Amino acid sequence: MAPPRKRDVRASRPPLRFGDDPLLWASWLYYEEGLTQSEIADQMGASRPTVNAYLADARARGIVNISISGDKLRSVTIARAIEAHFGIGDCLIVPAEGGQRSLIDRLGAAAAQSLPDLLHSGDTVAITWGRTMLALANAVRDCHLSDVIVVQATGGTTAAITYTPEACATRLAESLGARFVPISAPAIVSSPEARKILLREPVIAEQMQNLERVTCILFGISSLRPNSTVHSSGFFDSSLQRHGAYGTAVGSLAGRFIDDQGAGLSGPLADRTMGIDLDQLRSVPTRVLVAGGFDKVPPILAALRGGYVTTLITDSATGEGILRAEGVELDTLAPRRRAAEPPQQALARTRIKKFINQPKDAVTEALEGALAAFPDHIEPIGGSLRALRSRAAKPEGKVGVVIGGGAGHEPGFAGFVGPGLADAVALGNVFASPPPDRILSCTRDAHRGAGVLYIYGNYTGDVMNFDMAADLAAAEGIQTRTVLTTDDIASSGAEDRAARRGTAGNVFVFKVAGAASARMLPLEDCERLARKANAACHTIGVALEPCSTPDTQRPSFSIGQTDMEFGVGIHGEPGVTRVRLQTADRVVDQICDRIFEEMRLAPGARVAVLVNSLGATPMLELMILNRRLTHRLSARSVDVHTTLLGHYFTALDMAGASITLMALDEELTGLLDAPCDGFAWRK
Amino acid sequence: MQAIDNKGAGAIVSEIATAIVDNKAYLSEIDGKIGDGDHGVNMAKGFGRAADRLDPAGTLDEAMQVLSDVLMSEIGGSMGPLYGMMFSDMADSIEGAEQIDAEAFGKMIRAGLEGVQDIGSAKVGDKTLLDAFSPAVETFDAATAEGKSFAEALQAMKAAAAEGRDSTIDMVAKVGRSSRLGERSRGVLDAGATSCAMILGCFADSIGNRLA
Repeated sequence: MAPPRKRDVRASRPPLRFGDDPLLWASWLYYEEGLTQSEIADQMGASRPTVNAYLADARARGIVNISISGDKLRSVTIARAIEAHFGIGDCLIVPAEGGQRSLIDRLGAAAAQSLPDLLHSGDTVAITWGRTMLALANAVRDCHLSDVIVVQATGGTTAAITYTPEACATRLAESLGARFVPISAPAIVSSPEARKILLREPVIAEQMQNLERVTCILFGISSLRPNSTVHSSGFFDSSLQRHGAYGTAVGSLAGRFIDDQGAGLSGPLADRTMGIDLDQLRSVPTRVLVAGGFDKVPPILAALRGGYVTTLITDSATGEGILRAEGVELDTLAPRRRAAEPPQQALARTRIKKFINQPKDAVTEALEGALAAFPDHIEPIGGSLRALRSRAAKPEGKVGVVIGGGAGHEPGFAGFVGPGLADAVALGNVFASPPPDRILSCTRDAHRGAGVLYIYGNYTGDVMNFDMAADLAAAEGIQTRTVLTTDDIASSGAEDRAARRGTAGNVFVFKVAGAASARMLPLEDCERLARKANAACHTIGVALEPCSTPDTQRPSFSIGQTDMEFGVGIHGEPGVTRVRLQTADRVVDQICDRIFEEMRLAPGARVAVLVNSLGATPMLELMILNRRLTHRLSARSVDVHTTLLGHYFTALDMAGASITLMALDEELTGLLDAPCDGFAWRK
Repeated sequence: MQAIDNKGAGAIVSEIATAIVDNKAYLSEIDGKIGDGDHGVNMAKGFGRAADRLDPAGTLDEAMQVLSDVLMSEIGGSMGPLYGMMFSDMADSIEGAEQIDAEAFGKMIRAGLEGVQDIGSAKVGDKTLLDAFSPAVETFDAATAEGKSFAEALQAMKAAAAEGRDSTIDMVAKVGRSSRLGERSRGVLDAGATSCAMILGCFADSIGNRLA
C-alpha cells in the first residue's frame, strides 16, 4: 500500500474570511469555485465523505439554498396542469423565449430529445409535414434503435415548400437509421374517383397498409391563418375556405380538418385526401403533437379535446394560453410540496409458505404424484423414482436419449420423456445433479444396441456425474455420446460459448434429438443434430423475485422493490446484472437487442419461440411478453414457425421469465415438427 | 511419536457429520448469495445419512468409505462426486493402518487433495474448496517438516484452511455455477471452501483431543 499523502497542516485551517466555519468554506469551494468534492477534500485536508457531509449539512442549515429558476419551474407547473386537465400521458414545455434559435427550432430540438423515450426498436413511426416536423427530423441524433420503419403519414404536397411530407419523413429516416416508406401519391387529389383509382394501385395500396401498423405518430398542427402550412402547402384555396363544411374548422392535422371540439369535418376534401385518417390516427398508441405559437392555441386545444394527443410538446406561452382558454387559473397552480411519502413497509418475508409435508420428502412425493398423473408416459426403472423411462416401446437399433439434472425445474426433465423425446431421465435433489448409478440405470434401460446420447445442461456437477456414468457404461460395452446444452447467452460471452449454461433451450434440444432418434438415425447423427439444435438456441432470463427451496423455505437472495435481475439461469441464483425494473415491453426490448445481435437475425429468417415462466410468473404476463416479442420479430420480418408459451423449465417459485429463440433451417424445422408425446409437450 | 488408533477413529467422521448438519443453514445461506443455495442442504443430507450408517467404533477408513459411498451414490450435485472422491482416496491411503501418525495423516490429506483435483477442473484461486484445502495440506507438510508435533501441525493446518477459506471472499469464481456471475461473485465466501475448512477444522480438533 502506498503511504498516505502528507497533508499541509496550514491548508487544513480555513482562510480567515470563512471564520472557523468548515461548512461555509466547503460550500464556497463547491458552489462558487466549482471544485469537485475530492479537490475540496485535498484543500481542506479532510476526507471526501467529510466534505460530502459538510455540503449536506450546509444545505440542511440553510447556509446554501438551492432554488429552481422561476422560468423552469413555471414550465414544469404548466406541463403538469396540462397533463392533469386533459388526461394525457406527457407534456413537455420549452421556455417561450430563449436564445437565438426560433421557437420552431427549439420545439423540434425538444421533441428530438424526447424521442428515445417515445420510440423503441421495431416501431413503425409516421410523421406529417410542416416547419416544426422538419426541424424535429433535422434535430434527431442517433437513438440506437433497430428495425424502425418511418412512413409518410400522407401523400405529397407542392414542391414549392421545403418541408414537404417526403422531406420530413426521409430526413427522419436518415437521422434514425430507419427504413423509409413513402406514399407515392399526392396528399390531395383532384377527385374522389382519382383517389379510388390510386388506392387500387398495388404499390400505393401496400404503402397505405403500413399506416395500419403505425406505433408512433409525430405530427404538427396547422392553424387556418393565411400563411399557415395548410395554405402554403397549396391545398386549401379560397373557394374551399368559403365552403360551408369548413366554416367551423379551427385547424388541420395530417391534412384533415377539425372543429374546436376536435371533431373531423367531412367537406369536399375528405374523399380526396391520401393519408392517415383521423380514426386511424387516434388508434396509434403513441401520438406526439409538436406545435407552438399563439395562433396554434385553438387547434392544439381542439386536438387535445378530440383525444388525438398522448404527448404534447409546446412552449410555455402556448401552454398558458391553452390552460387559460380552458379556464384553468395558473396562479392557483403554485408549486405544492408533496407530502412526505410514508416510510415503505419492509416486506421481509422470512418464511415462504409451501404445499409440502416434510421438506426432505418433497422431491420424492412430487415424483409419486407425477407418476400417478401420467401413467401412460413415465414409469420407474427398477423401482427408483429418480430414474424414469418412457412407457413407449423402444425398437432394437434405436439410439437411446437420456436426459437429466436436478429437481426444481418441473415440468423440466421428466415432462420431456416420451415418444419423439427422451427415452429416460435421471433426477437429482433440488438443483443437484443425479449421482452416476441412477444415470447408469437409465443408460442400460435406454440402450437398444445403438448407443446412448446424454443431453443435459452445462453445470459442473452434472458433467462430473454423467461423465462417471459414461465411464461405467463404457465398461459394460455401451457407447455413449454427450451434448451439453449452452443456450443461455447472458451467462458468458459469444467467444466462450462452451462455458455457457443450459436453460430453457433444453426443451428444443431434447425435441430435436428425440425426433432424430425416432427416425432411427445412428448415434453420430443424433449427436450432430442435438449439437446443431443447441447452437441454434439463444435464451435470456429475467427475474423479479428470488425462489425458495423446500428445505430452507427462505428467499434464496433478495431483489429490491424497484430492481430486477437480468441474465438469470434456472437455479434461483442472481442474474448477470441487476437493473432497474422496467415495463414488459422494455424488458423484451433488452432481451431482443441482445439475442438479435448475437443471432445476427436477418429478415426472412425462421425461428421457434419459447416464452417460459421461471415458476411464479403467470401466463397472463408471458402473453404480454410474447406480444412485444412478436412485434419485434415482425418488425425484422422474421417468421415465427412455432411458439411455446408456459411453464417449461422453471426455478421452483422464482418470479421471472425467459425467452428462447431457436434459428430454424429445413432440417431443424422438420425435426421440430415431428410428433412427440411427453407430459409437458405433446405434438 | 504422536499417533491415534485407527480403530475407534470412525467417531471422528461422526463428529464431522455433526458439524456439517449443525451448519446446514449457514452453508446454504452462503451458497445462496452467488449459487443456488442448496450446499448446506445437500451436505447435511449426505453427511447425516452417513452418520446413521457408519460404525463409530470402527476404523477411520471404514467410516470415510461409508461417507464416500453415500456422497457418490445418493447425493449427486457437484459436491457428491468431489467430496465422495476425496473421502474415498483418503480412506484408501490409510486402509489397514493400526495407527495414524503425522506422516500417515499428511499422506491421507494429500491423497484427498489429489482426488479432488483429478475429478474437478479447478485450480487454486478459482474460488472453490481447493482454496482452503490446498494451503491446508501444504501447511501441514511444512509444519511437520519443521519438526512441529502432530498436534501443532494439525492446528497450523486448521488455521491455514480458515485463512484460505477467507481468501475466497476477494476472488472471482472461475468454475462452477457462480462463475457465470463474473465480478458479482466477488465479496462473498465460497460455500465449498467454507465446508472444506469446516471438515479440516474438525479433523484437527478431534484428532487433537485424542492426542492430548
